[in-house]
Amino acid sequence: MTLRARLTAFRVRLLGLVAKELRQTVRDKRMIGILMIAPMIQLLVLGHAVNLDVDHVPILIADEDRTAESRDFLNGLTAGDAFRRAGEVENAAAALDAISVGRVPLAAVLPRGFAADLAAGRTAQVQLLVDGGDSNRAIVAQNAAQGYVLRRAQEMLAQRLGRAPGRVRVEPRVLYNPSMNSRVFFVPGVAATLLLVVTLVVTAMGFAREKESGTLEQIMVTPLGGTTLFLGKTLPYALIGMVDLGLVLGVGTWVFGVPLRGPLGVVFLGGSLYLMTLLGGGLLLGALARTQQQSLVAAFFLIMPAILLSGFASPIENMPGWLQPWTLLNPVRHMVEVMRAVLLRGAGLADVAPQLVALGGLGLAVFTSSAVVLRRRLA
Amino acid sequence: MTGAAHAPALEARGLRRRLGITDAVAGLDLTVRPGELYGLVGPDGAGKTTALRLLVGLLVPDAGEARVDGVSVMSGGPALREALGYMPQQFSLYGDLSVAENMRFFADLFGLAPAIFRQREAELMQLTRLDRFRDRRASALSGGMYKKLALSCALLHRPRVLVLDEPTNGVDPVSRRELWDLLYQLVDEGLAVLLATPYMDEAARCHRVGLMYAGKLLAEDTPAALVKGFDDVTWLVHLSDAADPGARDAAEARLRERPEVRALSPQGGGLRVVVDRAGDAEFRRYFAAADAHWRLSPVAPDFEDVFLRLVTHAS
Repeated sequence: MTLRARLTAFRVRLLGLVAKELRQTVRDKRMIGILMIAPMIQLLVLGHAVNLDVDHVPILIADEDRTAESRDFLNGLTAGDAFRRAGEVENAAAALDAISVGRVPLAAVLPRGFAADLAAGRTAQVQLLVDGGDSNRAIVAQNAAQGYVLRRAQEMLAQRLGRAPGRVRVEPRVLYNPSMNSRVFFVPGVAATLLLVVTLVVTAMGFAREKESGTLEQIMVTPLGGTTLFLGKTLPYALIGMVDLGLVLGVGTWVFGVPLRGPLGVVFLGGSLYLMTLLGGGLLLGALARTQQQSLVAAFFLIMPAILLSGFASPIENMPGWLQPWTLLNPVRHMVEVMRAVLLRGAGLADVAPQLVALGGLGLAVFTSSAVVLRRRLA
Repeated sequence: MTGAAHAPALEARGLRRRLGITDAVAGLDLTVRPGELYGLVGPDGAGKTTALRLLVGLLVPDAGEARVDGVSVMSGGPALREALGYMPQQFSLYGDLSVAENMRFFADLFGLAPAIFRQREAELMQLTRLDRFRDRRASALSGGMYKKLALSCALLHRPRVLVLDEPTNGVDPVSRRELWDLLYQLVDEGLAVLLATPYMDEAARCHRVGLMYAGKLLAEDTPAALVKGFDDVTWLVHLSDAADPGARDAAEARLRERPEVRALSPQGGGLRVVVDRAGDAEFRRYFAAADAHWRLSPVAPDFEDVFLRLVTHAS
């Protein structure tokens, strides 16, 4: 066969496979739902749910002092956005009970003698009871309450001195996400993890289904080579993955106000390298699994640690030292970093080059080993 | 048969393959020539499907070799697969694609140019009378229609060797006849066909037959020659109390105990018995003195008797 005839046959085979995959996908309403609609819904739901901003924390009040000063102090505490008055109880014991049964996460107790202590120039006690179960909320609430107490102390000092005392103030200037809106930080991460779930599972199960239904054997008695099969099985989903990435970025921008500061081309370049790993990995799982169920279970075994060790929710610097270098093998980590850097910080190609190189290297390794396994199986 | 003088189109030499703890194929030798219809016949579990999968390269043999047109199946690569058509026993097409889409897909995999595909599709649609169902999904086809579609997909690229695993399994009698007519037509055109079947009447329609049992060929010849070489005597035992299910079981149990009885199978209301020629006189004496409800009549041996006799002997 001449080279020209070979190329023609390759093109006919590849296009035939891609057309068949797309036809089957479009025809299967559930598949379209999984590939296109589920990621959007998940992004909307998760984008709203994954929110670490702490405000309007319900706080229970126990005013044992019952003086004008104690009432004024407590009114000031719940006047801002940080706390919402959730009710009042008689004393510290009742407040403790309410926390221990989970009714409220926080209680402020002003003991008897609060106003008298202040008047006498002694240190007045304010007790803050915090449910540490949700450590993030506990820390943020505690900081907000301490901040309030500090401000009040300064005001009282100023009143007593008749003038404002000299003071040092920290003026934080938050870059890239000035309102410290955690959604803006999380949505790019959610997008990267959604792409992981959708593409890995769909390719793994799709290939396992070919095996289970006997169609793979029918393909294996044709002259189709492993490389053509591999490309035919990944290209359609690469296309769908890119469309998903576009949709996710759209929803992130319009619904959650995620900024698009950097060049989008870099995000899509990262996305295509990222998809190489995911699709290659999915196909590898599908080729090694015997049934669709096996491939699904295997995919979830990979998905869970890949998400948890990506820095998507908890910073990699907080992970144990021995574990941190291993996260470099996690493509989700690099994709989350690329998306956050480009979208939030406006990073360009050069800034995220290390992540792109890592994604490319991982993609090449997984893609090649998957292709080799398929070639062996079809040789 | 037109190709007796030709070199084999399909060849198995000492093929062996172990599956789990059984020797599914334990040293298989066979040849199929161009224009020959070869039937591999045997009971379920004889190793027919494994043998076919080895012959088309879907399984790697532990020993031995399969060849198509003289080229090893394991090393022949894509060019060799263009010479092969394979239709497995189970559903192996895309149920969610239509008849026409399935054909188009397999034509693409064989790299057929659109014009050639259209011409062959039209020929095969006409030959199999599938044209009325071209837009129907494969999963919605009847058993016979599905087999015709699978056969069409296996023939699109005009293979020289066609391997069929129980092609009439789950097919109604009319479609079965149509499939056989189609096969004869293809063989007349020079195609080498190897088919596996558990049905003796189908095996008797083949040019040559290999009787397979426990992974080996027990005998191989034309059906007529196998029957001709049959040296035992076949009797039909009529049971006047056949309506009583217990009576036939009891008769079968008693006859099985006779040392001269080689094989035994139910037929109509009676039992078909293959008796060793040397023990035939003894059998008749026993019979005359046996149950008054029984009557004996001689029948001409057929292909099934040959097969049952060989299997009983082997086991």
